[in-house]
Amino acid sequence: MGTANHGVFSLPPPIDISLENLAEFPEGRRVLTCIQCGTCAGTCPYGELMQYPPRRIIGMLRAGELEKVFTSDSLLNCVACYACTAKCPRGIDLTGVLLPLVKEQVLLRLPEMPAELQRALENKLRYGNPMGESPRKRAAWVKTAGVPVRILHEDPRPVDVLWFVECYSSYYPRGQQCARATAKVFHALGVDFAILGNEEKCAGECGRLSWERGLYNTLMEYNMLVLGKYQFKLIVTSCPHAYDAFRYRYTALRFNYDLRHTIPFLTQYLDRLKPRLRRKVSYKVTYHDSCCLGRHSSVYEEPRMLLQAIPGGKLVEMTHNRVNTICCGGGGGGMWLDTYYKAKGYERLSERRVKEAVATGADVLAVACPYEISRFEDALKVLGYEKKMIVRDIVELLAEAMEV
Amino acid sequence: MPEPKDTGSGGIGVYVCHCGTNIAGTVDVNALTEYAATLPGVTVARNYKYACSTPGQELIKRDIHELNLTRVVVAACSPCLHEKTFRNVTSEGGLNPYYFHMVNLREHDSWVHTDKKAATEKGKDLIRAAVRRVRLHRPLERKRVSIDPNVLIVGGGIAGIHAALTLANAGKHVYLVERDATIGGHMAMFDKTFPTLDCAACILTPKMTAVKSHPNITLWTLSEVTQVDGYVGNYKITVKRKPRYVLEDACVGCMECIDACVYKQAKVPDEFNMYLGKRKPIYIPFPQAVPQVVVIDRESCIEFKSGKCKKTCVEVCADRKAIDFQQQEKTETIDVGTIILATGFFTFNATRIPYYGYGTYPNVYTGLEVERLVNAAGPTSGEIILRDNRKPKAVGIVHCVGSRDENTNRYCSRVCCMYSLKLAHLIKEKTDAEVFNFYIDMRTPGKGFEEFYNRVAEEGTHFIRGRVADIYPDPAGDGHLLMCAEDTLMGTVRKIPVDMVVLSTGLEPQPDAQEVRRRFHLSCSGEGFFLERHPKLAPVSTFTDGIFLAGCCQGPKDIPDTVAQAGAAAAEALALIDIGYIEQEPYTAQVLEEVCSGCKTCIPLCPYQAISFVEEKKKAEINEVLCKGCGTCVASCPSGSIQQNLFEDEEIFEEVEGLLAYA
Ligand SMILES: Cc1cc2nc3c(=O)[nH]c(=O)nc-3n(C[C@H](O)[C@H](O)[C@H](O)COP(=O)(O)OP(=O)(O)OC[C@H]3O[C@@H](n4cnc5c(N)ncnc54)[C@H](O)[C@@H]3O)c2cc1C
Ligand code: SF4
Ligand code: SF4
Repeated sequence: MGTANHGVFSLPPPIDISLENLAEFPEGRRVLTCIQCGTCAGTCPYGELMQYPPRRIIGMLRAGELEKVFTSDSLLNCVACYACTAKCPRGIDLTGVLLPLVKEQVLLRLPEMPAELQRALENKLRYGNPMGESPRKRAAWVKTAGVPVRILHEDPRPVDVLWFVECYSSYYPRGQQCARATAKVFHALGVDFAILGNEEKCAGECGRLSWERGLYNTLMEYNMLVLGKYQFKLIVTSCPHAYDAFRYRYTALRFNYDLRHTIPFLTQYLDRLKPRLRRKVSYKVTYHDSCCLGRHSSVYEEPRMLLQAIPGGKLVEMTHNRVNTICCGGGGGGMWLDTYYKAKGYERLSERRVKEAVATGADVLAVACPYEISRFEDALKVLGYEKKMIVRDIVELLAEAMEV
Repeated sequence: MPEPKDTGSGGIGVYVCHCGTNIAGTVDVNALTEYAATLPGVTVARNYKYACSTPGQELIKRDIHELNLTRVVVAACSPCLHEKTFRNVTSEGGLNPYYFHMVNLREHDSWVHTDKKAATEKGKDLIRAAVRRVRLHRPLERKRVSIDPNVLIVGGGIAGIHAALTLANAGKHVYLVERDATIGGHMAMFDKTFPTLDCAACILTPKMTAVKSHPNITLWTLSEVTQVDGYVGNYKITVKRKPRYVLEDACVGCMECIDACVYKQAKVPDEFNMYLGKRKPIYIPFPQAVPQVVVIDRESCIEFKSGKCKKTCVEVCADRKAIDFQQQEKTETIDVGTIILATGFFTFNATRIPYYGYGTYPNVYTGLEVERLVNAAGPTSGEIILRDNRKPKAVGIVHCVGSRDENTNRYCSRVCCMYSLKLAHLIKEKTDAEVFNFYIDMRTPGKGFEEFYNRVAEEGTHFIRGRVADIYPDPAGDGHLLMCAEDTLMGTVRKIPVDMVVLSTGLEPQPDAQEVRRRFHLSCSGEGFFLERHPKLAPVSTFTDGIFLAGCCQGPKDIPDTVAQAGAAAAEALALIDIGYIEQEPYTAQVLEEVCSGCKTCIPLCPYQAISFVEEKKKAEINEVLCKGCGTCVASCPSGSIQQNLFEDEEIFEEVEGLLAYA
């Protein structure tokens, strides 16, 4: 008997569920079974700081006092990391169902939206990316990829793999390095792939979890239309958040494409990959399980299989791994709340995480989510660990070992 | 519409029961009665408030006599409840009991409808169908099957032990089959038992010894049942007996061989001590083991591995000649009439909840491991010494590990709160450590249980109401584990540093419960425990006649409940044995030899293996005693050569036609 498959996630959560009609949906009736055990608060990375952790929210819901929860900003701390959901003994989909509904009300009543978050959401709507970069530059990185990358609106022939690159890999300098590495690895493995280029817009996952229903739906509908224009066998994305959105949300709009995150996708090529991992390395590496890919979709072994395939690399584990991972702090809008948290004097989760990573004695912190690279690199710098440890996407490490 | 066949003389009596307002509230019983009286062949139709009452029964009997009735139809509740009652009435009235048919006006009509008019019309259809079918009923006789007085008990935990002694004391012969080298089960591993803190060995050992010395008990350890044939009263059981490599009759239990073994130090991880201690290749699981006979483990014994051991054990055993490396596995077959399953439980595998760190952090233990640590006969002689040789100053106990959790087991394991309290008391008594019990709800529903909780609280145990969310080494690096939980009564998240964690793991079905279930033709409930026939009214019976359940194989429970259930199972077996026979319903199927083509279609379909093929005649044959009257073969026979009593083709067609005919 293996470990329990933790977390009872609704797939996809009902789209028209609300705090008023909870009892009409199975997911909502689950909420009523809460035994007030406090596992959610105990495991929540910000549980100590929340005035209303999930347990108390349910208590207040039962007591008819939710209004008090709405007027506290406590839930802004929720980074949508699925930790509470994964461990809830009643199988309540807190992160997927209840908390976004409450967060929506909290945001509506905030006297002032945190500026950074406000800007990111507006940018997503206006430019299709949270940074506010020009949509026309989305595919600019391709020119320096070093290998040919087909863009579908220029060459719309059918393709095997539609690679959904996502914002951070398209625009951030460190993200672009990952994108280039991915393109090279795909190319070297002979994968027939193409991207949407400037037609692509943010999949919108964080928009939904920081609850901007209108924005989220606009992005969903837009991306579904664009995807519908082309013929492909499979969507591969490097962003666990996009993966999460497609897998758990877009299904409500009848998204039924075959879908893979880059890491499990590459694991399918392990046999072809292994003989090409020629360069011997000598680092010790530890892997950070991302919340969306790990906890929410149970992808735990594939990243480790790839890392172990790199000759010479030694894989060590952090104290909190797999289902027990600690969020980098970027989820649920947390990516754009750093200033807000800092003003409140909270410890940044990325710093908590890299402390654990450094404690393993590893030299490389491997990740599989574009959010994490910048967060962890920044945290290492702040804590003065930048000489001890570097952050790399697994695909970057593969590209390096393949010498492509 | 063809007229139904007439069955000759006399008539049919129809009795419509009101069942208080259960039926009469929704169905117009007067209209039904009037209607029934008009049906062809009906001599009398009446309704009555409670047909099953004594006056109701008398009414039917009197009519049979006075009106010379030949058939009886009662339209009342479910046949499950009162078919037997009215068959007896029919019989006491002087007719064959199977000249009767029951209409289920309650469950099939009044309880499931609200429209009175439609329900009354449906009642008419049902009665018409019954009247047409009952005319064709044939007289049938119940068969008696004798009950072999010997009993098989599988599993020698406290449940099996108690049931065995009860039956043996009543003069019945018991075969007790245990797969370990000793009886005693889990209880033998405990130091004290809640809520009274009786010493487990002191109350269990006398019962174990009594089993061994009882003239009416045949005890087979290291044995398992491999095959179950036959039927209630006449089971044929095959038992595989593994070799012990020590002759039970010759060994006197002096244990000199253990001292003499060429292994000077015990090196083999000891199962009975949850691998916390070591034993030698020749060993006895614990000092009070029954039988008091050593056993050799072939995996670690040098003689078995290389054939080149000095065999110092044999030397010291000398002319007792108890050690026998040549012993072979044996197969025994026995005849028994009834069976009690008492195969117990297995504890939840704590590695399935990775965030509790079991198997990762050495000082995380399961409750069962701590039972051995606190046991004076255990690996540390009762001292609590951690895997890193420290003595704990702070200990955290986690309730509900692998219970009440959608991710593992949904049910409550019923004993963990109580044994967590017991362990809190014992740890405190032995180490004076600070003890923290993390619980969700404290469940102490038993005699003396709440009082025990009270006592443990007075002793200073800390109670934190919150489910532990995470356990990990304190990053401060002082060797502590941090236990992280929300103290829900305080509304704060707490991180308690401890030296030792105890996981109170829940009770699960044995890993081979499904195999055992199939072997004994039982059912399991959703979570995998053996299913009782009725959760309230037949808690130790199963759906297989003559097989009973006792103890934790039926579901988690404590020792008092286990013993009570074992007594009940023994009493159920005794009840069958003492009558000496059981009557079988005559609904059996028969093969019409002239028609049977010998195609064998039916043979593999019978769920009770009641059909065999007679080579000489090239025909199928049904064993009446094994046949349960399920009708599978009847429906499957391509040549229509199987008929079933009370469900003959004509009877069924007549009933269907009656149902469909418009009044
Ligand atoms: C840590 C812990 C502490 C506890 N403390 C207490 C306490 O203090 N007080 C209390 O009242 N209760 C306590 N309990 C509960 C108690 O253990 C059970 O009520 C009791 O052991 C049930 O007895 P049983 O005979 O049904 O099962 P078991 O004790 O499990 O015995 C079953 C026997 O059947 C044998 N067996 C299994 N399968 C087969 C097979 N196929 N063929 C042959 N033999 C087989 C096994 O080897 C075993 O000997 C505790 C439980 C745990 C886990
Ligand atoms: S973990 Fe689940 S059951 Fe426990 S308090 Fe939180 S929501 Fe309720
Ligand atoms: S999703 Fe993560 S951050 Fe949000 S409440 Fe649950 S545990 Fe806390």
